[in-house]
Amino acid sequence: MLDLSRLREQFTDFSSYQSRHQVLSAAKLKRAIEALQSCEKSWQDYQGTLTLGKPRRLVAGFRESPAHRAPCGVRPTPVTVAATDGSQIYPDRNIEPTFYLLNISRIAFQYGTFERPIMESVPQLRYSTKDLEDHFDEIVESATRDVVSAIRDEFELSELLSVARAVRIDGRPIVAMVDGTLIRWMVRGLRNPALEQRLIARYARLLEQFREEAIPLCSYVSFPGGTEVVNLLRVVLGEGDPDTESDPETSLEGLVDRKIFEKVLGPRERSAVFESASHIQREYESADRICFFYVNVPLPAGGCEVGRVEIPNWVAQDPQTLDLVHSVVMSECEKGNGYPMILSEAHEKAVVRNQEKDLFYHLVEKEMHTAGVPFSASRKSLSKRRPSV
Amino acid sequence: MKEKIAEVVESSTRAIVAEVYPEAEAPAFGSWVHVPSADGSALYGLVSHIEIGSVEPSRRAVAYGKTPDELRKEMPHVLELLRTTFRAQILAYKDPKSGKIRQTLPPHPAGIHSFVYPCDDDLVRSLGEPYDFLRTLARNPDPAVPVDDLLVAVLRQIQAANGGAELGNEALVAAGRVLARLLNEDHERLQSILRRAA
Repeated sequence: MLDLSRLREQFTDFSSYQSRHQVLSAAKLKRAIEALQSCEKSWQDYQGTLTLGKPRRLVAGFRESPAHRAPCGVRPTPVTVAATDGSQIYPDRNIEPTFYLLNISRIAFQYGTFERPIMESVPQLRYSTKDLEDHFDEIVESATRDVVSAIRDEFELSELLSVARAVRIDGRPIVAMVDGTLIRWMVRGLRNPALEQRLIARYARLLEQFREEAIPLCSYVSFPGGTEVVNLLRVVLGEGDPDTESDPETSLEGLVDRKIFEKVLGPRERSAVFESASHIQREYESADRICFFYVNVPLPAGGCEVGRVEIPNWVAQDPQTLDLVHSVVMSECEKGNGYPMILSEAHEKAVVRNQEKDLFYHLVEKEMHTAGVPFSASRKSLSKRRPSV
Repeated sequence: MKEKIAEVVESSTRAIVAEVYPEAEAPAFGSWVHVPSADGSALYGLVSHIEIGSVEPSRRAVAYGKTPDELRKEMPHVLELLRTTFRAQILAYKDPKSGKIRQTLPPHPAGIHSFVYPCDDDLVRSLGEPYDFLRTLARNPDPAVPVDDLLVAVLRQIQAANGGAELGNEALVAAGRVLARLLNEDHERLQSILRRAA
C-alpha cells in the first residue's frame, strides 16, 4: 500500500530542488549551443585534439562539422520496412524445474503496395544447456535477468535478419529497425567473461551479415540520455580532465545531448553523424561500428521530441542509404504520432499478457505432469498469485 | 458447397459466435449459415448480429483520415487487426441418421473452431414450410437483437431463394401467413414487417 499523504512534503522538496536547478541548466544549455555553433568553422582542429588526448569520458567521434544539420528527404515508395521486438518470462527461482521464455515479434510492411504485411511472433522456450553449453547453471544462479535480456536482444537481431531476408524484394529499398541501442555495452556487465565473449562474437557476426547482405540496419532510441556530444563540447570548451572536479558554474556536466538538439534542429532535420566511442565497439569490424545521429520529430500537438537513430558505419558512410534511413524513420514517427509506428506494432506483438503468462505456466505444469516430471512452485510464489484476506 | 467463411469461437444450443476469415466475405444480416459436423449432422443458424472491431480487446479503432486503400498501403496493420464477428441464432439442425432437417433447437451445440458456411438457395429452400423456426424467432427472440428487422430480412431471403421478386412471391406469402398467425394480436407490427419485406 502506498501512503500518499506521507509523500506530499517530499513532493514539494522535489519540485523546489528542480526549480533551483532549472536556472543552472538553462545557462549550461546556452553555453553548450554556443560551443556547438563555434565548431562550424573549426571542427577539424578538434578531431586532432581528441585523438591525441584520449579522454576517458565517452566523446563522440565525428567526420563532419558537429553543427551540421540535414533536412529530411522524401521517403521512397514502395519501400520495405522490417522490425522486431522481444519480451520474456524470466526464470522464476521459486519454480522447479528451471526454464524461461523469449517471445520475439516479426513485423514487415511493404509500404506503398497492397501486399499483405507480416505480423507474427516466435516464442522460444529455453530450458537446456544446448544453446550456451556450460553457462546455463551460471545463468540461473547469477545476473539472471541481465543474461536473459542479452540473449533476447541477440534473438531479436537474428530474427530481424531472418525476416528482412524473407521479405526483401529485388529493386525495392529496405530498412530493418529495432528499438533501443545497437551498442551492446550492457553485455560487459554480465560478470561472466566467457559468456560475454560468446555473446559479443555472435552479435558482431550478426552485424556483419546485415552488411554482407546490404540490409540497412538502424535502431531508434526514444528520449535518449546519451552525453557523448556534450562530452565532445566539454573538450571544445577546454573543460579539464575527467578526474578533476568540474566547476558547477561553467561545466556542462549533467547536460544531455538531446537538450541541445531540441534547440538546434529544425523540424524533421537530422544532426551530423557521430561515432560512438563505447569501448565494446572495438570488438566489431570497423565497418560495423555503431554511429548515431539525432532527429527532430515534430509532435502532433506542437513542439518536438528528439530521438536518437543508431546505424552501423557502413550505412553512415553511404549518403543515399543514410538519407533512406532518415526518411524512413521520420515517416514512421509521423504515422506513429511521434514514435516509429512499426516499432509500436512490433512491441504490441511481442508483449506477453498476464493472462497468457498464467496460461503458459499452466501448460508447462500440465506437460510436466503428463511426463511424470515433478513440477513445484514455492509457497512464496503461490501466495503472491493468490493473496487472501 | 460454398467455401467456408468463418470459424465458431463461442457456442451454445441457442447461438454461435463466429469470426470471419480475412479473405472471406461476411454473411448478410438475416441470412442463413450452416455448420456441418463430421458425423453427418449440421446446424443451421440465422445471422442476427454482425460486428466489426479490433482483434485485441485493449486496442480500439481511431480516426486516421485515410481511405481504406491508403491504410492498406501505409498502415497495413490497421486493417489486419480488425475482424468481423457475427452471431447466428441456431434454429434448425439436420439429423445425421435420417438426413431430415428439423426446425428446432439442436440436441448439441456446435464445436468450437467448427467451420461455418453460407447456405446456398437450395438449403434456404429446404428450411421452408412449415416455417416453424419463425415461431422460435418471434416468441423467443435474442434480447440483444431487433427481432422485427430480423424477420424482415428472413422474409426477403425466403423470397430471393425461391426465385426473386416474381417467382418468390408464393413462398413469401406462405411465410407471411405463418407470421400473421404468430403475431395476430399485433396487427400493426405484422403490417410493418410485411411492408418492409415486400
